[in-house]
Amino acid sequence: MKWINKYLFVYKTQIIRSFTYKYDVYGNIIMQTIIMITSAFFWRALYGFDISKPYGDVMVNGVRLEDMLTYIIMSSVLSVLLSTNVERRIESSVRNGSISTDMMKPLNIFGIYLSEDLGRITALIFQNILPILIIGSLFIKVPAMSDLTQLPRFCISMMLSFGINWLLAALFGMWAFTAIDVDALIQVKKHLLRLLSGSIIPLWFFPDWFANILKALPFAYIYQLPLDIYIGKSSDVEVLQMMTIQAIWLVVLGLAFFIVSKRATRKIMIQGG
Amino acid sequence: MENNKMIEVTDLSKDYHVVKKEAGLSGAIKGLFKSGKQTIKAVSHVDLSVDKGEIIAVIGPNGAGKSSLIKMMTGVLTPTGGQVLINGKDITKNRKEVVKNIGVVFGQRTQLNWDLRLGESFELLRHIYEIDRDEYEKNLEVMDEILGIKEIINKPVRQMSLGQRVKGDLVAAMLHSPEVLFLDEPTIGLDVNTKFALRKFIKEINRVNKTTIVLTTHDLGDIEELCERLIIINHGKIIEDCNLLDITDRIAPYKTLVVEYYDDENIPTHENSTLDKVEGNVARYRFMKNDITAAALIAELSNKKKMKDVAIEEVGIDEIIRIAYGQ
Repeated sequence: MKWINKYLFVYKTQIIRSFTYKYDVYGNIIMQTIIMITSAFFWRALYGFDISKPYGDVMVNGVRLEDMLTYIIMSSVLSVLLSTNVERRIESSVRNGSISTDMMKPLNIFGIYLSEDLGRITALIFQNILPILIIGSLFIKVPAMSDLTQLPRFCISMMLSFGINWLLAALFGMWAFTAIDVDALIQVKKHLLRLLSGSIIPLWFFPDWFANILKALPFAYIYQLPLDIYIGKSSDVEVLQMMTIQAIWLVVLGLAFFIVSKRATRKIMIQGG
Repeated sequence: MENNKMIEVTDLSKDYHVVKKEAGLSGAIKGLFKSGKQTIKAVSHVDLSVDKGEIIAVIGPNGAGKSSLIKMMTGVLTPTGGQVLINGKDITKNRKEVVKNIGVVFGQRTQLNWDLRLGESFELLRHIYEIDRDEYEKNLEVMDEILGIKEIINKPVRQMSLGQRVKGDLVAAMLHSPEVLFLDEPTIGLDVNTKFALRKFIKEINRVNKTTIVLTTHDLGDIEELCERLIIINHGKIIEDCNLLDITDRIAPYKTLVVEYYDDENIPTHENSTLDKVEGNVARYRFMKNDITAAALIAELSNKKKMKDVAIEEVGIDEIIRIAYGQ
């Protein structure tokens, strides 16, 4: 288990590094706040919320407004937990040649990238997630979990979705690094993913045929599933079913990553970094 | 039997395939249908063997294949053919194991982390290479004596001058006490004092740790100060592999005697030297070291005409290299 120490230290170092950036962090808090607050207004309007009446009973697709508001706050939190830098990291290290110095270390380069992403996100818990939760609680509502016994399931499903999301990003990064404008591609991918994953609009608002297609793709298992568990929308059977599909996706993407990363490393080593 | 060979390169080649495109619009259109592939031999059939504790300089004009050679020797570029053994181990087959035993410094980029203090970067490397704390402190102490690294250890890398950064990089590459150190243009862009300190440091680690050092450079001072052995490559091939003194004797076995007379009338000649050039009252005689000694030449010439001043010029290493590239 000694090898893990190296990666733990890469992780720790990345936390230190992350605290040197300040402005990116404020920018994201502001952006997430805007998204949260506008979504809250949007959903309240959609539910026909009238401040003079109790609104607890209005249900749309089996979801109360209360839960919908929890959903959007937690979706903002998740978008921070699920942010990745691996795509940019691959592209920039190939372009500026630092990939050679990384490869000269007795470490796996993707192990380095994963540890760095985890370190960055750990720093973001303090820099972004806590502020978002506080702002959300103050201005919208306290996003309490509907049923605390579901917490273990939520955590497991979160880890799986982190895995799926990171592998997708790494695969995307290996595919995109030859493109001229990687930043634009990354933006397109990010927003498409948020749309298809139920992060902004839950899948139950899509037409059935479209929702079914999305349920077959890996994206829904990144945001929608953990959020469903959090607000307690689905039955136990449904949750377990979806978590199985989620685990299958993780394995499939893991295999794809294994093959593609081997090929990509070989290609870089043949063309010269 | 102890194997004294630290680096063995056999029949090493590297081909790059590039798509050849013709110029102009018609070329671009043709390129849509068929693209001519062109093979560039960056390194072709190179053999090289370096003993433990040797310092060698690999030099060559830009684009000669130096970088490809170094990249293959450090295991980040897969050769098209041939093999590289570092301390008897094939680097392409045992990359993870072999890289623990090599250190690399690129003068033009850094392995230090811009956002971190130097000491934090070192700590990271200490963990990556699994160096225990005592050894780490000891290594740092030794390196501090020559480079004064502790003065800058708490400085963020992004605030460092180039000289400080290269010093930091050099220490970073030596923290895990590798047996082989690759230095790719380490002194590029540095001031005289920093160059001096770096060279002293390189000599010192070579003397104390018996570190094998492979150096590429365009700075002839580096070569004269550090190396006894010189490898010149051009067009992907080794064109010279020799001792620094031997190459001087072989390529330019002559010296030049510059004599200043009191006037420019009847400049004398001498049968063992050629009168290269006369500019006013200054004459340049080129003579072979084997034909006549400088003392004898001066004595005999001054018998013929009274001299005001003399100077002896040896052919500089830059001249030798220029001649070698031209071959």
